Amino acid sequence: MAPGRKGRIIRRTIVIALVVAASLTMEITGFLATPGELRREVSWTTLHAIVPLVFAACAGVAWAIGPSRLPARLMVIFPLVWIPLSFLRVIEHVAWLWPFVYGVHLWWAVLTGILVLLYPRGRLIDGVDRWIAGIALVTSVGYLLGVLLLGQPSAAVCDCTVNPYLVADAPGVFAIIDVGYRAIGVLLAIVIAVRLLVRWVRGSVPARTVAFLMPIALIAWVITLAIQAAAYASGGADLVLDTVSLVAIASIPVSFVAGIAHARNMRARVADLMRITREGADRGLWAESLARTLRDASVRVYWWDEERAGYADASGEPLDDSPAARRSDHGLLPVSSPTGMPIAVIRHDRVLTDNMRLLDGVSSALRLSVDNGRLRSEIERTLEQVRQSRARILEAGDEARRRIERDLHDGAQQHLVSLGMRLRLAANQARDRGVEPLGVELDGTILMLNQALKELRELAHGIHPSLLSSGGLALAVPELAGRCPVPVEIDVQAEGRLPEVVESTAYFVVSEALANVAKHAQATRGWVRAVLVDGELELVVRDNGVGGASADGSGMLGIADRVDAVGGRFRLDSEPGAGTTITIRIPLGRFTST
Amino acid sequence: METPERPLRVAIADDALLLREGIAKVLADGGLEVVASVGTGVELLEVAARGGLDAAVLDIRMPPSYRDEGIVALEEMRAQGSTIGVLLLSMYATPEYALRVMGAGSGTGYLLKERVSEPQTLVRAVETVASGGSVVDPEVVEQLVQRTRADDPLSRLTERERSVLELMAQGYSNGGIAQTLFLGLKTVETHVRSILQKLDLEESPEHHRRVLAVLTLLGAR
Repeated sequence: MAPGRKGRIIRRTIVIALVVAASLTMEITGFLATPGELRREVSWTTLHAIVPLVFAACAGVAWAIGPSRLPARLMVIFPLVWIPLSFLRVIEHVAWLWPFVYGVHLWWAVLTGILVLLYPRGRLIDGVDRWIAGIALVTSVGYLLGVLLLGQPSAAVCDCTVNPYLVADAPGVFAIIDVGYRAIGVLLAIVIAVRLLVRWVRGSVPARTVAFLMPIALIAWVITLAIQAAAYASGGADLVLDTVSLVAIASIPVSFVAGIAHARNMRARVADLMRITREGADRGLWAESLARTLRDASVRVYWWDEERAGYADASGEPLDDSPAARRSDHGLLPVSSPTGMPIAVIRHDRVLTDNMRLLDGVSSALRLSVDNGRLRSEIERTLEQVRQSRARILEAGDEARRRIERDLHDGAQQHLVSLGMRLRLAANQARDRGVEPLGVELDGTILMLNQALKELRELAHGIHPSLLSSGGLALAVPELAGRCPVPVEIDVQAEGRLPEVVESTAYFVVSEALANVAKHAQATRGWVRAVLVDGELELVVRDNGVGGASADGSGMLGIADRVDAVGGRFRLDSEPGAGTTITIRIPLGRFTST
Repeated sequence: METPERPLRVAIADDALLLREGIAKVLADGGLEVVASVGTGVELLEVAARGGLDAAVLDIRMPPSYRDEGIVALEEMRAQGSTIGVLLLSMYATPEYALRVMGAGSGTGYLLKERVSEPQTLVRAVETVASGGSVVDPEVVEQLVQRTRADDPLSRLTERERSVLELMAQGYSNGGIAQTLFLGLKTVETHVRSILQKLDLEESPEHHRRVLAVLTLLGAR
């Protein structure tokens, strides 16, 4: 929790308590200051006192969950301007103060109207809203000025001292301002009510069901306001109408808070859908979650089937796209990928069509889900292609080495051997003819040739050990171990021949590992074991040397790469002082045996 | 043993025509009669089945798979009861092959191909296997001796005994060893007894078994 949160809550609680206290003080002192015969009924006064309490309470909630702070601030200011006319009697002799209080005693209505305009997003959405709010504010300031310069309430309201700011005693003009201000207020309230109604009618069913209070409250208030304005002009009051008006006003912040709470809930459910999407839900679960999110059990998701070039649901039932089905009370929401490829069609209750924001969220989630899945499978496919091509490159490399060795064997080596033979014949002939020096010369040439043959033999063996081709691991590994300067114990139990690429990989691993044993391990013994376990070749090369081999060394990396390329696993255990053990496992299933 | 008047009748199998002809010429010059010259092990088996052969010289790597067709042909001949001398030629000196060749029975030999440039060696090898003896290329023995093993029994041998052992592994008889090392036969026999004792080997009445035992010991150290 943020450190400031607790302090903020305390601060807000104090502010709310202060405005509530101020409001109740005005209410009670006003009630007590009014002479008994002029007092309103206790029940009405109580109700009047409760209205700001409701606003203050809703301010607390709106502060916690609202989309912005403005509505909560308006609600918390409301109790301060919810000034009962009776309060004027308390300050009727404070000449400098009462004109100001009288001038703002109707501002609560402006706050309420703006609050309604802010619903549900917490800000003014378009220019019309801003115009309405601007007109309301300007006329309110004008009214305050009018009161200051011209105002003098009737004796029925208060026994006020003379307005010190009065510039002219013109009760007629003031009455026009007084009535005109209220008339503009009523007009604006009607406009706001109409806008709200339009929005409400266009809203989605779930939104409407929860937020129906707001328009009703507003309409009730507008009607009572209009009647009251008329009654004010004619100078009368009706208890029932007044009571309805108070209830209507009190229900506005409640509607506001209920509305944003509902929207929050809806967002939370779309967020749930996103979460499910991110976790890679299957299609059945996704459709189920969607139905829950939309509160529409009849929701069906039809996925695009590339093969059939049509939409079908998870159970394979195709989408009924006939005109008759289209005319039903279901709406169809097609969702396609950013590149325009069809993904799915969501069949939903037609009333949901109204809530485009919700459906937008839903289709985004679906798009994300499918894109995720598509990317995942694409990556997997690419990775598999890379694996296969790497294995193919490896096999091609092995094959090339085999071919080079064979070419050397059948070509250069044979030719050189033949050449040696002919040189021998030539040397013999030279001796037969008594040219001994030539014979000696040719003998030397033959020796050099045989040395060259020996080197060529080593080279060819290094390129590809012919013994591996002809005898497999069972012959090639002992031969390899025999070349290692460290004594190596061998246990090759691989019966029969393994796939060529597996044999050459294993041979490479043993060769590299034994080279490490000879060069770095400082070992006195080595062990090579090859066994077939569960359709895999398990090869273990171990030594009793100093250990501490790094998997990042070029030799180890080479082993790991080779093994990885054939889909095998590589493991290095080389604790310092505990020798080195290289374990590899290569599955045989994916290769065709030779 | 054949009578000295009649030259040894030899068949050659090698898929390289050039070498095949060269070998035939070397053997002919050495006083042997080359009666057949073929390209595969299967063809050689057919020639051998017709009888009348004293020895065969085979390449190990031949069609169709270029692996160990020569040795397979040898094992096939022995399985059919043929006892003619068989000399295997190989481009590589592979101890594992030498052991397999010796294991096929007496009258077998294993030489590097480049020995064809030493006509006497080749001719003598053919004569040796034809008379039931054993021949192993010195390079094979060298490789085996160079192999390092923990607790090496060879360390118990003297320098001279080591030389004798290497010749034993190449298939030399006691007489041959005496001749090669310029020693008396008795001395060689003493050395051989000492070697067999030190290496815990038994003297076998069959010569090729002695070669096989020595090679196996060298390979298995």
